[in-house]
Order: sequence, then structure tokens, then C-alpha cells
Amino acid sequence: MSERALPGGGIAAGMPAAPLARIFGWLALRGTLATGLAISAAILFIGFVLPFLYPVDPFAIHPDHALQPPSLMFPLGTDELGRDELALMLSGGLATLVVALPSALLSFVVGVAYGLASGLGPAWLDRVLMRLLDAILALPSLIILIFFASLVTLNNTSLILLLGLIAWPSLARLVRNETIAQRGRDFVLATEQLGAGRIYIARVHLIRVMAPVLVVNGTFMVGDSVFAISGLSFLGLGVQPPQVSWGSMLESALDIVALDPWWLIIPPGLLIFGSLLAASLTGQGLLARYGGGR
Amino acid sequence: MIATRLASSTLTIFILVTLVFFMAHLTPGGPAYSILGMKATAASVQQLNARLGLDAPIWKQYLIWWWHLFQGKLGYSYLLSRPVGSLLWQYEINTLVFYTVSIVLSTALSILLGLVQGVYFGYWPAKLIGGLQLAGYALPGFFVAAMLVLWFSVELHWLPASGISNLREVHPGVGSYAAHLVLPVVTVTILTVSGLSRYFGEAVHEELGKDYVRTARAKGVSFQAILFGHVIRNALRPLVTILGLSFPYIFTGGVIVESVFNYPGLGWLMWRSALSQDYPILIAIVLIIGVLTILGNLLADIVNGLLDPRASYE
Repeated sequence: MSERALPGGGIAAGMPAAPLARIFGWLALRGTLATGLAISAAILFIGFVLPFLYPVDPFAIHPDHALQPPSLMFPLGTDELGRDELALMLSGGLATLVVALPSALLSFVVGVAYGLASGLGPAWLDRVLMRLLDAILALPSLIILIFFASLVTLNNTSLILLLGLIAWPSLARLVRNETIAQRGRDFVLATEQLGAGRIYIARVHLIRVMAPVLVVNGTFMVGDSVFAISGLSFLGLGVQPPQVSWGSMLESALDIVALDPWWLIIPPGLLIFGSLLAASLTGQGLLARYGGGR
Repeated sequence: MIATRLASSTLTIFILVTLVFFMAHLTPGGPAYSILGMKATAASVQQLNARLGLDAPIWKQYLIWWWHLFQGKLGYSYLLSRPVGSLLWQYEINTLVFYTVSIVLSTALSILLGLVQGVYFGYWPAKLIGGLQLAGYALPGFFVAAMLVLWFSVELHWLPASGISNLREVHPGVGSYAAHLVLPVVTVTILTVSGLSRYFGEAVHEELGKDYVRTARAKGVSFQAILFGHVIRNALRPLVTILGLSFPYIFTGGVIVESVFNYPGLGWLMWRSALSQDYPILIAIVLIIGVLTILGNLLADIVNGLLDPRASYE
């Protein structure tokens, strides 16, 4: 390690450790998981608890206070209709998470099932499923999402199904490869000799052996899901009015960007960024601690 | 090896086109409505369907779909009543310009950052870059774009926030087009660099730890000569693969970025078509993106084969 750190034979030697770098280093090595979990907790608190602690009607209109920067009366200012931005943001958080979390769970289940079926099934099934996966993976998921979002009536249920049924392919490939790698191992072969069926092996052994892989990638999927629903809402193809979400709030703020409404852009943007960062840090932290990623 | 890759890519494209055929069948309306207009009578639609072969059994329609694709016929836009193929062309050129500039810029920046990260691995410059990459990874494109517009267009009035050129000029010059490209390109670059530079940095670090570097150092070759003569060339291989693989992600970012900046490229057209449910255009874009992605992977394999001839015998 120390030899590899000095490839230039001293070119990098004697480099002082700056305080900023020490913070980054701490974040990158020790605190990744803790930071990720802390931000996740904060986001969940904002999305599920704060709406009940700040009981202001997000859709109440105050025309004489329209488009005002943050003040004592409106902690995060008001939008162009004079609605309380903080209340909107909390309601938007709930709307975002209510779609993002179940859809991540759905695509997780579909991905694991597809991967296990491909890895444990007969060789011809594996070949067919993997070819199909190649073709699906050739399309960026946002592209397929946009296509199907234009076809269906958009509401929470259809959005959860849409996101959940589209985000699974990369996990499916991972699970399939891991299954192939594990099924030749002695303990699996021994269980097979004892007469265990494929489903039993998958349920009792493979899922447990793959637990780190699954947990790490499941965490990343939550981030992907928040990004997908925010991006779709931003494009007007996600959470529909009168409901608001962080993505649609950013979009409506950008419509009036010429009026410089920074208080309408920064908070929802930071919350989406925070959610993605939380998922990414938690995933990286789990990866570093328990291994099992690609 | 290239022959097998070519065969498997062809098969993937074949499956993709079949998938898209079924996706197209899910859409309401159909080509007859797009040609005759939405108010067409049932009788005239039936007549045209019979002429176009759309009342045929599904396997026959599937063959017609392929036949039309080979002729380059992608259908008619519902709203603009023009063949999709010729309509897409202008948008494709805009997107091509936008992506080429973005990719060249982000590749150059990634090589620079990755080099620093690889050489100073374990020291503060590398850690700083690592922290920025972690943050950049989680930044959503629309937020980056919104902040850039807020700061550079609204607060400072330095750069235009939307469009492809100044609409008030009859013949906008190159400068006008370039000024409108700056913010979209910067957005995509910020999004792309965090991932790309990380891969390159890790590759440089790994190469520097290999035996040939130590041997060359022991023989008295200078570190700079090894770095620029051997290490960079070897470390470029994973970067080429990632560039080939990252095409769909760049396009995904492109849809959002083009929609924020109202930049009339393929992504913008896809967004508008989705909102107005102009399915023939959507289908054509889905098809084009899928095929380009598969070709991008193939191209990355071929370039890698050229960079390292050994790869072709594996």
C-alpha cells in the first residue's frame, strides 16, 4: 500500500495533509456509512414526520404574499401563487417517497426473481433470459419510462408499477452471475445431493450468501428510484398536479426563473441531491464494510 | 473475436427491434390516423389500413415493420404530418454537436483529474477529487442545470438560458450558437466527469503498481516518461469501454438537460413528443437510441482491440 502510494519514487512524498482533505478522507473512509445513514434518516424524517409537525396547508393561497423570499411568516418563502414553500416541500417529499420506496422494493423483487430464475433454470432459459436482458439494457431506463409514462394515466399506483417494472435489469444480471458462481460450490452441491429442490436452495442458501450483494444494490436502487421519479416529475411525466413533488417543484420554479426565485430552486434541489447522496453513501459504506458489489 | 461480437450485437439489435415493434403496438391510434388526421372517418381509416397492410395478421405486420425499417421508413408524426425520418435529422445534428463537444470536454477533464488522482493516490489532491466525485455522482442533472441558469443567466447575465441561438438575429453567428451551448455542455460535463475520472484514476493507480513500471524505473527511465509513454496508454482501455457503455447515460442526462435549456435535440424532441403523445416519433427515438447503444458497446470493443492487440485473441 505504501509502496503503491509512492509510484513516482518521491514525486508525491512529503505532501502535507490539508484539513479539508482530512475531512474528505474521514468521510470517504470511516464515516461513509454513518453519514449516509444520517442523511437517510434526515430525509425520511422530512418526508414522513415533519409534514405532521408543520401543519400548514400547502395548497392555501395567499395572493398578496406571492413570490416572496423567506421570512418569519413563510420560513422558505412563497411560490408564484402565494403558497407556503415549506409546506409544499414537505408535501412534495411525501409524494416523492411514497412512489420511490415501493417502486424500489418492487424492482428489487423482480430483479432477484429474474436473476435466480436465469441462474438456476435450464441452460436454454438462461440464454433466452440473458439475450432479452441485453436488449432491454440497450435502452436507458429513463427512455423506456418516458415512453410508457406517455401511454398510461399517471397516478401513484401506475407510477410505482412503471418505475418498479423498469428498473430491475441490472440487478437481475448481477444476481444471475452471482447465482452461477455460487451454485457450483460444495455446500450447494451437497444440499442438492441431499435432495433439495432448486427453490429450496435459492430460498435457504443462495439468498443468504448473496445478502451483502443484495443489500448494497438494493440501497443503490432506492437512490435510482428517487432520481427516476424526480426526473419524470421534472419532465411533467411523473407526479401530476394538484399533487406536488420535489421534481415538479423544480420544474415550476424554472418556468419563472427569470424572476430569480432562488428560494424555490435550492431547497427541493438540495433534498433530491441529499436523497441520492444518502443512498450512494450508504451503499458505498456497506460495500466497503461487507463487500459484495461489483 | 470481433466476428462473434458482431454476431451477438446483431442478435441483440434483432431482439430490440422486435421489442419495439410490440411497444409500438401498444400505442393508440396508428399510422392511418397520423396520415388522415384524428378526425378521419372509420371507413377511410379501414381503407387505408387495408392498403398499408395494417389489417393483416400480426406476423405479417411484423414482416412489414422490418421491410419499412430497411427502407428507412419510420412512420409519420401525428402532429407535424411529416415523415419521422426527415424530421429527426435536424434534431440529430443538434444533439450530435452538443454531445461531441460535451464528450470531448469531459474526456479531457477526466483524463486530467484521473491522472492527478492516480499519481497522488492516498494524498490530499486525490482525496479532494474523490470527495468531489462522490458528490458529483449524486447530483441530479436538472438541479445542476437550474443552479447554473440561476447563477450565470439570471444573476450575472453572462450566458443565455435557453434555445440554440439568438432568435432576434436573422442569421445568428457561430458565437451565438456557441454561447447557447455553454451551459448545457457544462451541465453534462459535470455529470459525466465524476464517473469517468474515477474510472481513469483507478486505472492509472492500478497501472502504476505493476511490475513493468518498477522494472522501467530500475532501469533509470524517468517517472514522467513511464507515465506519459506507457501508463496513460494502458489506463485508457477501461476509459474507452466506459465511454462506449456510458452513451445511454449521456443520452438520459441529455433528455433532461435539453429540456431545461430548450435545446432542440433528440432528447428535447423525445420529451415534447411524450407530452403530446406523438408516438411514431417516440418509437423512432427509442429505436435509434437502442441501436446506437449497442453500436457504442461494439465500437468500444473494437477500439480496445486496436489499443491492445492481445485483446483480440482472448
